[in-house]
Amino acid sequence: MIPAEFEYQAPKNLDEALRILGRHGDEAKILAGGHSLLPLMKLRLASPRYIVDIGRLRGMDYIREDGGKIAIGALVTHAQIVASELLRVKCPLLPETASEIGDMQVRNRGTIGGSVAHSDPGADYPATVLALDAEMIVQSSSGKRTIPATEFFVDLLTTQIRSGEILTEVRVPIKRAGEGMAYKKFHQPASGFAIVGAAARVAAGKDRKIDDIALGMTGVGSKAYRATAVEKLLRGKVASESLIADACAKAAQGVDPLGDIFASADYRREMASVFARRAITDALERAVGRASGPSAGAAQGKIK
Amino acid sequence: MKVQGTASLPANREEVWDLLTDPRRLAKCLPGAERLEPDGPDRYKVAMKFGIAAFSGKFQGSVELAEKKPPESLKMRVEGRGVPGFMKGEGTISLREKSGVTEVKYEGEAQVGGVIASVGQRMIEAASKKIMQQFFDAAAVELKAAAKK
Repeated sequence: MIPAEFEYQAPKNLDEALRILGRHGDEAKILAGGHSLLPLMKLRLASPRYIVDIGRLRGMDYIREDGGKIAIGALVTHAQIVASELLRVKCPLLPETASEIGDMQVRNRGTIGGSVAHSDPGADYPATVLALDAEMIVQSSSGKRTIPATEFFVDLLTTQIRSGEILTEVRVPIKRAGEGMAYKKFHQPASGFAIVGAAARVAAGKDRKIDDIALGMTGVGSKAYRATAVEKLLRGKVASESLIADACAKAAQGVDPLGDIFASADYRREMASVFARRAITDALERAVGRASGPSAGAAQGKIK
Repeated sequence: MKVQGTASLPANREEVWDLLTDPRRLAKCLPGAERLEPDGPDRYKVAMKFGIAAFSGKFQGSVELAEKKPPESLKMRVEGRGVPGFMKGEGTISLREKSGVTEVKYEGEAQVGGVIASVGQRMIEAASKKIMQQFFDAAAVELKAAAKK
């Protein structure tokens, strides 16, 4: 349980972090909250030569409104997202998702940037940033670029972030009137990772006609994805229980589901449709105003 | 764990067969392998370094070819042992050609044990798929390079 030898560097600002990263390339790993990287290093499944600790950088843990969106600094912890009044009102899907991550220790240390950049196939945020059509801002010594969530996740533990780049901000849209959101998760009881996680955003009127829908799925395959087949079947339709159930049967369409000792590939495929249905149903009820989001107190005091 | 799939390679069957059975060329395609050292008939020692994002591990192991039926099919046994654990796999590779493109079908069983299995269990299948993909991508590059010569 002792990691291999590495050189620790704690840059004072982002520019310095980018310089160090530029110098060491693939031999360096970025450390933020450490809740993905450190366990790997202790088991020696990862043995980077250089650790660039950005966890101490100031000014990267903001949550603020900016140009009609909400800008979230990469170093914002899951606990900060759960507790954010601004997010709870303007983008409730994020605090709802964050409250489901790991345990309290993980939520207190782990960061949104770290989780999204690591792109674990069982991580929760990827489904949510996909459903929200979020944007990832990455920076390198040569500048900044914006990557839409739908293009961000490439494969198992692989994103569009290039060597020498740091994810600095996640931008999410502000919830519009008539929009409802929900995250439903099937927890792995030991690890807390998602066996299946479904994040739904539904825009619908009182007549239950679905004007727009976005469904992000995680845990099912080697990377999170948008269940476009489900979205297509529901967009523009007046929702009924059976219509939603039929559409959600396609929640894993085009995906090669993972199988492991806890959940086989077939079981995961089945659970994908179950949790997609639950997420869409709740999001729809919230959109038409029948049900409210998770109450503030409940989300905050959650201990698992 | 079952490992199976297909891949298309841009060359005829004989060329693909030659690639799979030539240790120097095979080493170029095995992800993270430096070289194959002969260790008996159709048996080679190999040092491989796998890496997917933050995960990385070094394995010492062997590759063995058996039941060779050129240019149709062969059996491949791969074994490796390293700090993260061990892996062992055996499978049949069969080649079918269709207008200059060879379809490679592989089917076998793999076992993974040690730390990597207990911790990375939920990702092993996805990782093995990705490693196979890397192998066939590298094989396609190698075949194209050979065709140019």
